[in-house]
Parts: sequence; structure tokens; C-alpha cells
Amino acid sequence: MQKDTMQKDTMQKGLAVRILSGAAAFTTVLALSACGSGFGGNATSTGSGTAGGGGGLTSSSSALTVMIGSSGNAETNAVKSAVADWSKSSGTKATVIAASNLDQQLAQGFAAKKPADVFYLSTGSLAGYAANGSLLAYGDQLKDTSDFYPTLVKSFTYNNKLYCAPKDFSTLQLVINTDMWKAAGLTDSDYPKTWDQLEAVSKKLTTGKQTGLVVSGQYERLGAFMVEAGGNLMNADSTQATANSAANVQALTYAKKLLTDGAMKFAADTGASWGGEALGKGLAAMTIEGNWITGGMQSDYPNIKYKVVPLPSGPKGQGTLEFTNCWGIAADSPNQAAALKLVEQLTTKSDQLGFAKAFGVMPSIQSAADSWKQAYPQLAPFMDAAAYAQGVPAAKGSAAVVSDLDSKLGSLAKSDPKTLLDETQKNLQALLK
Amino acid sequence: MSITQSTDTAGTKQDLVRRRDRNGTMAATSVLYAVLIALAIVYIFPFLVQVATSFKSETEAAQSPVSLVPQVWTTAAYRGLFAHSDFPVWFKNSAIVTVCVTLGRVFFDSLAGYALARLHFRGRGVIYAGLIAVMSVPGVVLLIPKFLVLNQVGIYDSYTGMIVPLLTDAAGVFIMKNFFESVPISVEEQARIDGAGTFRVFWSIVLPMSRPALMTIIILSFQGSWNELSHFIVSTQSPALTTLTKGVASLASGQLGGPTQYPLKLAAAALMTVPVAVMFFIFQRRIMNTTEGAVKG
Amino acid sequence: MSANAVRSRSGIHGHETASGWLFTGPVLFLLGLFLVIPVLMALWVSFSDWGGRGSPFSAGVHFIGFDNYSKLLAGGGLAEQDFGTSLRNNAWYVVLVVPLQTALSLFLAVLVNRAVLRGRGFFRTAFYFPSVTSSVAITVLWLFLFSSTGSVNKLLSYIGITGPNWFNEPSGILHDLLGVFGVQNGPAFLTGGTFLGISWWDWLAGPSVAMSAYIIMGIFTTSGTFMLLFIAALQNLDRDVTEAAMVDGANGWQRFWQVTLPQLRPTLFTVLTLGLIGCWQVFDQIYTGTQGAPDKTTLTPAYLSYQAAFQDQGWGQGAAIAFILFVIIVFFTLFQRWVLRERKVSRRKMRPYLSVGTGSSGVPAGAAAAGQPPAPDGERQ
Repeated sequence: MQKDTMQKDTMQKGLAVRILSGAAAFTTVLALSACGSGFGGNATSTGSGTAGGGGGLTSSSSALTVMIGSSGNAETNAVKSAVADWSKSSGTKATVIAASNLDQQLAQGFAAKKPADVFYLSTGSLAGYAANGSLLAYGDQLKDTSDFYPTLVKSFTYNNKLYCAPKDFSTLQLVINTDMWKAAGLTDSDYPKTWDQLEAVSKKLTTGKQTGLVVSGQYERLGAFMVEAGGNLMNADSTQATANSAANVQALTYAKKLLTDGAMKFAADTGASWGGEALGKGLAAMTIEGNWITGGMQSDYPNIKYKVVPLPSGPKGQGTLEFTNCWGIAADSPNQAAALKLVEQLTTKSDQLGFAKAFGVMPSIQSAADSWKQAYPQLAPFMDAAAYAQGVPAAKGSAAVVSDLDSKLGSLAKSDPKTLLDETQKNLQALLK
Repeated sequence: MSITQSTDTAGTKQDLVRRRDRNGTMAATSVLYAVLIALAIVYIFPFLVQVATSFKSETEAAQSPVSLVPQVWTTAAYRGLFAHSDFPVWFKNSAIVTVCVTLGRVFFDSLAGYALARLHFRGRGVIYAGLIAVMSVPGVVLLIPKFLVLNQVGIYDSYTGMIVPLLTDAAGVFIMKNFFESVPISVEEQARIDGAGTFRVFWSIVLPMSRPALMTIIILSFQGSWNELSHFIVSTQSPALTTLTKGVASLASGQLGGPTQYPLKLAAAALMTVPVAVMFFIFQRRIMNTTEGAVKG
Repeated sequence: MSANAVRSRSGIHGHETASGWLFTGPVLFLLGLFLVIPVLMALWVSFSDWGGRGSPFSAGVHFIGFDNYSKLLAGGGLAEQDFGTSLRNNAWYVVLVVPLQTALSLFLAVLVNRAVLRGRGFFRTAFYFPSVTSSVAITVLWLFLFSSTGSVNKLLSYIGITGPNWFNEPSGILHDLLGVFGVQNGPAFLTGGTFLGISWWDWLAGPSVAMSAYIIMGIFTTSGTFMLLFIAALQNLDRDVTEAAMVDGANGWQRFWQVTLPQLRPTLFTVLTLGLIGCWQVFDQIYTGTQGAPDKTTLTPAYLSYQAAFQDQGWGQGAAIAFILFVIIVFFTLFQRWVLRERKVSRRKMRPYLSVGTGSSGVPAGAAAAGQPPAPDGERQ
């Protein structure tokens, strides 16, 4: 048929035209982008208060934006009211934005040179933003840093500079459904003190649809076992990778045994999105979670009775993980002076205790510990853990490595702990080069 | 339908073929219908489950995920959606963007399509080829750079940034161009001889004639912008500018530590489907004929 | 604008040049600003060490050559491994979705297009409806249907099958299949060598169970659109050719393969191309649903690119991923065009029938309606 050949011709012609037009478009764009680059020139003039300069803070009358990654309405409202109170007393306007995806929105803000002035910043993101100059290292300008827990200060120190004030912290402990505990014939004296005991009670509590221990299958929970065995993914300063240490292998081997015995399950495998949900839905008799669990249980599963006890000691004694966020201030904020004042207010004892009441976090300052324990005696184990808890890796890029490990821990039952950790070790070492 | 009609046994080849066809048809038709109905169920059932589940309690949703009639009807999911999320705001934003984008595309696409189809001017070939080249760029490549440009231009995180980049699409221009090429030119020429300017001719004579093609543009751009996600991810950050797609996606990925809340999420998904579904059923015939019309044209 | 009753030919043209550019101006400006410039900017970023603060054109940003690309393609680190994983995942998605959705949509079109069919409108509507809903809404629905206590597992339980926890199951389905026959570990020649940080054995794992749920979703949502394209093409077929074949005594099956299908070649090409381009860009579903989990088996290059840039401050790397993906898409499109090029054999088979009527008009205009350039026929004046 003639038509076929015709079509082929036009196709070829089309291709040629396309290539030609590509070249044409390219030149047009070069011309256009020449205008575009003008923006770049302007942008540099605004960033006068460079990060780490330590000297003068920017100051202006502009209103502050506070961006938070909120766990829910309780947290959002608490931060809003605290910030509003500060606004009233200081006369500087400030608005709180609850981000739907904090990491992404921070990244966009920094790139746009229009970041939020004050924001939640996780340990994992600190190094990245500190390295590219997005953050104001204001640690040396805080009135008093000695009251913060030293481990928290360490978490937010990058290149020997404290970048931001710890906002609060959380630790992991063992959370037990007391009704199931009793139903299994266990008493207060049976709370597990060692790994063997944990294994024994987990087995005892596993019946039918109910699993003894349900945790999220990730380093952020199983890492507690590593600390108990005397290990962790990196050293305390995040300057050395220790992922494939014998201690870590021992910890994951223990966790794997719990899994293969059926005494422990990962939350995802029970259909729950996290340990608290598994506990609330009666799928789990025990879980390993942090102090944030109280809020979730109260709002979603008010009828479940539970008790918090310390995690059992491992081969090297007590241990758990701690998590923390800080109040970051942007290097590109036009009103850093006011931002700093706001942060100082938000880290006072009274404000921190207010946050604790609203959404279950623990104050980042040592002087508030006793008041907190008095107010929440049933949660005291979380606070006690401050003495022996360790942080998560904070080296630049470590968040990606940890999430890679997390993705593999999901199938821990079927894999070799040493191989997993060797891989992570390799990836962490690559970051330190 | 009786088969006995063809009693005369004239034995031409064609008759034989037809009769054999008709005999086979009865059985074939029933098989055909069975297959079609089974397939239709597969295609429709998920949506029925979606609506039914949105009226169930969370426990019931987990216990009987297949039943289409909730044992206990509850609107808790819908109430929760309006009380605890910004659903109305998302809806409003999606509506604003969709309306603006649709109007913009109708105007700009037809304007450009008309020029490419009817006007003889230097550079037309280059523009046409350029459009084709531009269309071959996969959207995903644009995710990062679009943000960079919105940022440089200074319209990041604004309605402008959400709407303007979507205002035209090369595919729409092609549809219009193809349409205009299929309409006889005589009416316009008459108007031109009568002294009307090019834009006048376009606006008061050509556009009113182009209803069918414009409907196609309206349908495609309504659907496209209502369902758009990635552009809004990169063009906005403030909650006040969140659209339905972005909002419901954030609901789905779940705030940290939230319960699964399937009824609530399914309610959100069902509600966000309503406008496109309404659009779909109103213009159903048009949509179904879109492709056919275009081919015949 | 003066209204001259009589204008010279060149006068009209001169006038039309102005209007022509004026009419196409807005489209050109917008596409240039939001399509062409962004691509070039990203190209620059992919060759730079821009860290994500301020403008990528500011003074502190350096040209670093192919560093971002080499980290992805031969870095030996996490970046390469993630990229390899995402390509593996997406490749399986393409390999399964493209042929299946094409076959299914053609099948649906042929069924619905039967002349005798009653309720044709209803069936077309039913099959097309999933295509109009947003990928976000469908993903939310899918997360429920395929949850551990969801509808699919419930239905499977009726026939005595315990369904997997779909979106949390990272094992590859081919590995699972081999596992049934007792093969747990691959042979040394497969597990030993690696490509892009992934062992050959893992490349051959097949899509994970989680990805399979997305694959089913992909087929479910796009088959309707392509069905419309096929229906349009079928209705445009040359009746004479078909009837000639009937007279020759060819049965339905033969007619389909030897007469109908060859005539559908342009549409088939359009559908395959659109499918291929679309399937390499899976993003919305992953963003809404699993975000790469479990065990990164639903990570796709598109999502990885987003994640690298917007979550991990690796803007250069994110842009580099996007461009590699671009090249992959272009390559496969051209490859497919080459595979589906006209072959003498098929035409010879068709010749006896084709001699009856004249060729039908192509489908490209219909393709345009579905958002695709009318590639071949578009050039005709």
C-alpha cells in the first residue's frame, strides 16, 4: 500500500523537524535564560547574616513564620497558643504553619530563599542544612545552654557549633497492655529485666491473633536492642560508623529470633501502622514505643489500659534510643533577633511543660525533669531513660542510610543480620569520606 | 429473534456465510454478555466498596470489607473529614484552579490552534515543530525544574504559580488545530471580505462554531487540573493553598502515629471523585465520542 | 485596524504574521517559561553542586561535570543502589503493565464494538470510569482494597487462599514462584555479579507483591482510555476489507489477526508509546501510597528523583535521575518504533483483502484527543 510508505516518510520527516526545532528552541531559551539569571544576582544581597557568622543577627519588623511538623491538632494548637502569647508580649507578629510534609517544605523554603523563620528540625536533617548554609548557628547566642541535656546538645552540634536549641525529646520504653498481662497470669514482679525474660513473657503473651510483642520494623525501635547490647550505628558524635559491630549483630540476631519464634511481629505484618495502633486494636500485648504513645492512646483507644516499664537490660546493661527535634532558625530569616527571642521563650520551663501536657513530649532542660515526673508518674520510665539513652546518627546523609536499613529490617526474619549491618556500615562509611 | 427466517435455501456463498454466522451468534452472544458483565463488575465493584465503606465504622470496615451495605450506617467519616481536616479549603482551591485553568486553556489553546491552522505567517512551521518537541518531554523531568523556575520568577506558593503554568497545553493546541482544519473556511473568508479583523473573525465567528472541539478541551482540562498532583506539590507549601489531591495524599500517607482510618480516607477519595464523576456523566456522550469525532474529522 | 475591502496578497500575509505571533504568543511564552527553561535549568543543576539554598545561578554554585551522574551509575554507594533498585522496580512495572493494558483495552474494545451489543453505552462507561478519577483517589481506594484485612484478601479467603499483606510484602513474585519449587537462592553466576548495585538475581526477582498491587491498579485505570482509542480505530476500519475476508470464509479469529489487527497498527503504536511513556513515570501513586516501601520495592525513578531533591537536599542528583529517566524513555520509544516498523511479511498476508478497498485514514487525530501528538499524520496540510 502506498499509504504505508507515505506514513513512514512523514515519520522520518517528523523526526528531522523535531531535531531541528529542538535546536531552535534551545537558542530561544538561551536568550530567555539570560534574563532569568538576573534573579540570581539580586538574591545574594539579602543574606547578610550568614550562618555561623556568630556576629550580628538580622533584625527587622517583619512577622515571623513558625513551621512545625505536627503530630495532630493537640500539638498544633499548643504551639499556636504559645507563639501567640509570645507575640502578644513581644509585639512581633508570628504565625504557625503545620506542614503536611516538613522536610519537603523546608527544602522548598530554603531554595526559595523564603524559609520559615523558625521551624522544627530533626537530628537527621541538621547536617544537610547546616552544610549548605541554610541554618543560623545560634547556639552561642543562647543565654544558657548548660541546662539542656548534654546528649541533646551533642545531637545538634555540627562542626563543633551548636546550631539550634533542643526543643524536647522522647525515649523508647516497653508499653504493656495490663489486661492481657493479667490474663496471662503475670504479675508486677514479672516485668522483664533481661532479654531472656522478655522472650519468655512475649511467648507467654502470644495467643491466637494476639502477639506478645509488636514493634515497627525499623532501626528507630530495634536500635534500642543495639544500645542494650552496647552498640549503635555510629558513635555519639556521629564521626565514626559502628554499624556492623558485634554488639549490633547480637542485637539483631536476638530480634530475629523473637520474630522467627513468633513472639514478636512487626506492626506492618499485623496490619497496624505502628505499635500504638497494634496495642490499641488488641493485636499486641506489648510494644516498644516512645512517650508520644499517650496522646495516640487517649484519642484513639481510650479504653485500653496500659503500663510503661523500662526496657529490659541487654548484655551491656540498660539502654534505649532517644529522639529529639530542635528549633531551627533560618540563615535567610530577615528577623533573626526576634526569632531567637521566640526560641528562648519556647524552651523555657513553663512553655516546655505546657507542650508536655498538650502532646506528651519531655522537656529538653534538666531543671524541668522533676516537675514532669511529678505530673506524669506513670510515664516516669521515659524520663529516667535520659540517663542512659543514645541518639540516632546525625552525620550528613545518615537519614537516607537509616531509612535504607529500615527498609531492609522489614524482612529481618528472612535475612542475615550481619549482612544487613555490613551493608549499612559501608553506606555510613561512604558518608564520612 | 427467530432463526427460522432464512428458510429459503438458496445456496449462494454469501448466504451460507451469513447463516453460519447467525447460528453461532446465539451462543457467542451469551458468552459475550457473560464476559462483559463479569468485567463490568470487576470495574465497578471497587467504587461501590469505596462508597459503602465510607459509611461504615472503622471496625466494620476491617471486619467486612466486601459488603456493600453497612450494618450500621454512620456519617462519622464525613463529619470527621470536615471537622478535623481542611477538606473545605482543599476543595475550594481545587475548584478555583480548575475553573481558571479550564477557561485559560479554552482561550489560549483555541487562539494558537486557530493561528496554526488558518493564518499564514513566517515561523509557523517552527512553532509547530517546537510544540511537538515540547510535548515529547516527559512530565516527570519537570518536577524539580518547575519548582526552580517558579521560585526564580517569584510566584512560588501563590495561586499564580499554581494556575499560570497549567494555562496552556500543547496537546490542546493540536486538538484545536486539527478541528479548525476540518471546518470549511468559506464563512470566515466571507467575514474577512466584509472587513472584520482577524481577532474579530476568530472571536465572533470561529469560536462559536467550535463548540464540539471546545467541549473536548473543557473536559480534558477539567479532568487534568482537578486530578493534578505533582505540579501542586512543587508549586505550593502553605496549607491555605493545598488542593484536594495534595490534601488527600497527605491524609493517605498518614500523619505520624495516626490510625489507619480507612472510612475517613475513602470518604475523602469518594468526595473528590464527585465533581469529575458529575462532569463525566453530563458529558458522557461527548467524551465517548471525543475520539471518534476527532478521527472522523 | 483599518478595514480595507481590497487587500493585496502580501498585505494579508504581513498582517497575518503579526496576528499569527500574537495568537500563538501566550502559548509560546507559557510553554517556554514553564517547560523549556525549567528543563535547561535542571540540566544545569544536574551538572552542579547546588545545595538547595537560594538560586542555582548564584556565585557559590560550581560546575562539577558528571559527578552527579557517575554517583548514580557507578558510585558504588547507596545512591547507585537506590537508583538501580528504582530502575528494577519500574522496569518490571513497564514489562507487565504495557502489554497487559494494551491487550486488555483491545479486548474490551473488540467486545464493546460488537454490532449486536445492547447496553453498549453502559459497558463503555463502566470500563472508562476508572480513567477519569484521580490517581490519588484510586490509590487511597487501592490501599484499602489490598490491605491485610481488605476486600481482596476477603474475596481470596472465600476460595481458601490466605492473601498476603499486599502493600507490606517486599518479596519478588518470581522469587516467590521459584520458592514454591524449593529454589531459595539463585545460582552463583547470578548472585555474584551486580549491575547498578543490584545483583542479577535481584534484578530477576520480579515485581514485589506490593508493586504487583500497583501493576493491577495501573492496568485497571488506563485500560479504559486506551479502549476508547481502539474503539475509535475499529469504527474507522474498512468494512469492505472485512467483508471480503468474510466472503473468503475466514473465521472471526483469522479475520482479527490477519485483517483487523494490521489495520490497527497506528493505534497500537500510539497506545504502546503512550503506555510506555506513562509507565516510566510512576509518581503520584507512590507519593500517595507506599513512598517506596516495603524494602524500597516500590521506589520508582520518578519518586527517587523527587525524594533526592526535596527530602535529602541532593538537588543535583535528583535532576540527574530525571534526565537519565528522560533518556531511557526516549530510547525505548525509538526502540519500539523500530520494532513496530512496517514489515513486508504482514502486508503480504493482508494484500488479498486490501485490494478491495482503499486504505483507511489514520488514528492520530484521535490520539491527539487523548493528549498525544498526532505524530505521523499531523504534518499533512
